[in-house]
Amino acid sequence: MKSSQKKIVKLFATLLIISSFIAIYKGSYSISIIDLAFGNLEEIQEFVILNIRIPRVILAGFVGCSLALSGACLQGLFRNPLADPGLIGVSSGAALGAATSIVIGAEIAPNNYINSFFLPLSAILGSIFVIVILSIITKGFKKSNITYLILAGIAINSFAGVGIGILTYISDDAELRGLTFWSMGSFEGISWSLIIPSILLIFLTTIWTLTFSRRLDIIQLGENDAHRLGIDVKKLKKNIIISSAIIVGVSTSLVGMIGFVGLVIPHVARLLGGANHNYLLIASIFLGSSLMIFADLISRTIIQPAQLPVGLITSAIGAPFFLWLIYNMKRK
Amino acid sequence: MNKITALSFLILTTFFSKSTNAQANNYCKKCNNSTRIVSVGGSITEILYFLRLEKNIIGVDVTSNFPEEAKKISSVGYVRNISSEGILSLEPSIILGENDMGPIGTIKQLNESKVDFRLIEEVESTQGIIEKIQCIGNIMNHKEATEKILNEKIFEQAKELEDIKTKKTLADKKFMLVLSMQPSSIIVAGKNTSGDNFIKLMGGDNIFDSFEGWKSVSKETIIKENPDYVLLPSKNLHKNSKVEDFSNDEMFLNTTAGKKNNFIFEDGMSMLGFGPRTIYCALKIAKKINQEE
Repeated sequence: MKSSQKKIVKLFATLLIISSFIAIYKGSYSISIIDLAFGNLEEIQEFVILNIRIPRVILAGFVGCSLALSGACLQGLFRNPLADPGLIGVSSGAALGAATSIVIGAEIAPNNYINSFFLPLSAILGSIFVIVILSIITKGFKKSNITYLILAGIAINSFAGVGIGILTYISDDAELRGLTFWSMGSFEGISWSLIIPSILLIFLTTIWTLTFSRRLDIIQLGENDAHRLGIDVKKLKKNIIISSAIIVGVSTSLVGMIGFVGLVIPHVARLLGGANHNYLLIASIFLGSSLMIFADLISRTIIQPAQLPVGLITSAIGAPFFLWLIYNMKRK
Repeated sequence: MNKITALSFLILTTFFSKSTNAQANNYCKKCNNSTRIVSVGGSITEILYFLRLEKNIIGVDVTSNFPEEAKKISSVGYVRNISSEGILSLEPSIILGENDMGPIGTIKQLNESKVDFRLIEEVESTQGIIEKIQCIGNIMNHKEATEKILNEKIFEQAKELEDIKTKKTLADKKFMLVLSMQPSSIIVAGKNTSGDNFIKLMGGDNIFDSFEGWKSVSKETIIKENPDYVLLPSKNLHKNSKVEDFSNDEMFLNTTAGKKNNFIFEDGMSMLGFGPRTIYCALKIAKKINQEE
């Protein structure tokens, strides 16, 4: 990593720390900063901070990290600036799993407590199912051409669309609204018991993913050259897809569909610092986390005491950037 | 005269004697402090106003749009997408929620917080509405006044509705309730929807009770099922400007409802909200049909 890149990473890390502090301090329930600093809180304030805000901020950070990291890896792997976790169908697999649990979950797991775990679990199963299909279609990721993966992703996306469509059709009023809100993403109602297994999983997978950075650099030369340079391209492909599926599947399962973070954050990091992956992956993690924490902060304070779905905010920021990207690509 | 009043009171209370069930439910127990209420759900807010308890309401959700003044109270968002911190930030002494309040995580958090939080069951029938009113009255420690208001404003209407319902004229009639009508899709009330239950409240027959939920149906099916009456939320009328747009629709012209111009426009939440207004609304429509026939 160049020293200028180190500076940028430090800057993003500082941004993450600052945004976390602001997000824990700010919210619709007003708590004075002095009381917070000295732990001089009423019972209800303590409840809000410890059981509502902190788990929410932590999860937002991890989800931002997941989406940005997998976006950076997939863009590197596919050597395509438009790749994001949605491209290989993992998100829609998770969405289909979640939709199934929203619409027919109440009949299978009527208990509220089990039900809160049932949704993330079925979403993860959905994304695992997609990886299995991808693996079968590409014969264990042996097909060297990346186009196969993308085409398979497109097919899987539309297939999941059919499934979600059918579920939408058979769902009742309440379920339909549940589906709509889930598809816009939200960090509302997050509890410690729900996030601890997920953040552990995301943390470990993130560490594993960071070890791919050198190989991702080499693969930019093209798969054949990378192969000649001693890189096991098939294995790398498989590992990146599996790790992306885990972190995106877990994130999507808990908070719903949050668009554009996976696509936009790696581009910002690349524009500011460069494209070598040992820098890019870490920068994306910090920037993704802080953006997500910030977007969630906006979502829960902008129309307080009500809240906006966070997916709307990330997309509202991401969509204009995406357009700018397309505009610039055409100019080139 | 007093004897007659006492007697009719006795008859009416016996008639709705099942209503004491409301107090048996745990969530209907009297609360300790009802000075700061957050009401999440249109019918709950409507009932609080109905019981003249509105001065204690400090927060409502966006479905609480009746009466008009309720819209001025600060909003905690949409009933299915409530923010727990948002609600708690209003520092309520009690939170009343409709049973479709969500998401699940928020419900869990509110249960864990030490604020008094009640999810109120909904049974979409005359009896259900009365029990809900009694339940809320009971929670607010307002029991006697509630019975008095019910006695003045609901029991008689409910009894009248039950009477009309059993008459043959209504029981024979085929109804449909249209939620929205776009050129490409007509969405109607199927089985187990509030629309279906509203039709049942009047003793009518819903032609679309062969499927569950709100679904889109084809014009052909509507002609085949041949409704006698079409119920529409008046919101549709604003969008499409005139009743004639409906009555002149070729599809409807091929049905009894269209031929006789039997289109009934009512406020959507009056019909489907299952608050006190729903009883009045059902009674009004039932009376009208009964007179016409």
